[in-house]
Amino acid sequence: MTEGINQAAAAAAATPRVRLEGIRKQFGSIQALRGVDLDLMPGEVLGLVGDNAAGKSTLTKVISGAYVPDEGRILVDGQAAGYTTPAEARAIGIEMVYQDLSLCDTIDVAGNLFLGREPRRSVLGLKLLDRQRMREEARRNLDALDIHVPSLDAYVEQLSGGQRQSIAIARAAAFAPRVLIMDEPTSALAVAEVEAVLRLIRRLAEGGTSIILITHRLQDLFRVCDRIVVMYEGTKVAERRIGETDLEDLVGLIVGGKAEKLKGHA
Amino acid sequence: MSTTPIYERRPTGPRYHDFLARHAQVLSIAAFFLLMVVLFSLNTNAFLSQANLLNLLRQSAPLIIVAVAMTFVITTGGIDLSVGSTVALVNALVAIALQAGVPWPLAVLAMLVLGGLVGLLQGWFVAREGIPAFIVTLAGLSILRGVALLLTQGFSIPIASDNWFVQIGRGWFLGLPFPAILAVLVMAAGALALSSTRFGRYVTAIGANAEAARRAGIGVQGVTMAVYVLTGIAAALAGIVIAARLGSGSSNAAVGFELDVIAAVVLGGTSLMGGRGSILGTCLGALTIAVIGNGLILAHISPFFTQIVTGLIILAAIWLNTKVFRGGRRR
Repeated sequence: MTEGINQAAAAAAATPRVRLEGIRKQFGSIQALRGVDLDLMPGEVLGLVGDNAAGKSTLTKVISGAYVPDEGRILVDGQAAGYTTPAEARAIGIEMVYQDLSLCDTIDVAGNLFLGREPRRSVLGLKLLDRQRMREEARRNLDALDIHVPSLDAYVEQLSGGQRQSIAIARAAAFAPRVLIMDEPTSALAVAEVEAVLRLIRRLAEGGTSIILITHRLQDLFRVCDRIVVMYEGTKVAERRIGETDLEDLVGLIVGGKAEKLKGHA
Repeated sequence: MSTTPIYERRPTGPRYHDFLARHAQVLSIAAFFLLMVVLFSLNTNAFLSQANLLNLLRQSAPLIIVAVAMTFVITTGGIDLSVGSTVALVNALVAIALQAGVPWPLAVLAMLVLGGLVGLLQGWFVAREGIPAFIVTLAGLSILRGVALLLTQGFSIPIASDNWFVQIGRGWFLGLPFPAILAVLVMAAGALALSSTRFGRYVTAIGANAEAARRAGIGVQGVTMAVYVLTGIAAALAGIVIAARLGSGSSNAAVGFELDVIAAVVLGGTSLMGGRGSILGTCLGALTIAVIGNGLILAHISPFFTQIVTGLIILAAIWLNTKVFRGGRRR
């Protein structure tokens, strides 16, 4: 059913939400990205897979503004996007959950959710942090994601790895982004928490958010993705609609040249 | 044999455990402070007299003012070693300006602007050019003191006591010494700014994880520069108060002042690693240092002990804190 909705949405808006054209990025002598083209449609969930150092993280950091590509163009809704910092990308609705989570340990849960966009109230002409509103909205956001923390006033350093990861996801998802990039969002999560994140991904996509998901948990991809892109040595080597592929096919595409050997063993 | 597993949420421990862990440093310096007050009250007759307490407040005002600003710098993970030299430069320059006939309000304003510019320049090197704050402000410490010495040739410059300017250091308002009122105002503004404004939140965020702050769209460079402007202005204000109280300006003022300031901040529980700062703690730290100096003199103990005792208390307080803190933190 969800696929039908997405196809309708895709037909209605044929312009990709994000289009990458010939993206190249080099670090010293290492060619991290060697000319990558990619389309991300509105409301689409795109799985990005590949071996380690295939260029997945670099590509997503280019989209999120953390890296500026050496060559190539980024189009957002058909317009050339000139952002060069994460803040500028965020301003046009591109959010990212970083692998290192990017949380501030000595700030409380609610404060981390609102970092950089704290609501304020006016007291005698002074603009002070509106703690009550931060706490109420944080509670609502976390409840919607089934995330349990001991206290919203707890410092993030007091939380477990899974709770920290949940909070990083909640922060990116809370502000109705147009593009949400998630780099290994479920690596530290327990079973119930993974389920909640997968549900969240589907829900956001149905609301029109375009999502890029990097994960080593291939079984998750088949549950939420519309399309899967395989990277290898800094290039895009394959693209599959989810109905046209299976686990074995995907593993073969990821390991590439090593596939024949693997089959020999099997 | 087997029993049905019981699923229930684990109970949370009492909330006051979190409170104690989070405020351990402020609580411990408060205890130290009270201990010192009780000790000196019992050992000397003069300590608790009104005249002595008011004098104590007057004398510790410059320390409190600069320590409040320094709390912001250290909370970003930086340090400002140049504050003592800035005090000396302003101290000397304001006396020179007044002697040259500059009206005092103009001289005061010019000095505050000068302090701000010194901070801006150092902040620029730290924030924009990425040079470690320790290096930049160590250079500042040397250069600014050198400029002050050059301007005065090492002589002390008198300020006429009929100039209203000296009231900034000697005057009274509502029964309190004027410098003490300045210190309380700075403290209140600092406490509000650090705990309840976006600026204070960003100062903490930068100290906790500067890259996360950048990714969250915070203007990390601007905020970092701003905290050095704050210490520059605060040091200028301290230089003005000291010049007004002593009725003279000297390039030898406030030697070693930066160390007292940093000691006060660290005693108060602000982490040198950044991300954790308390204005209340800083003020208690500054008052503790002031009380030790004052009390030892009243107790007829050699004032040279002051530095030894201050050092020992810093070491003891920080050592206790690291022990107390290990429990509540995961990383």
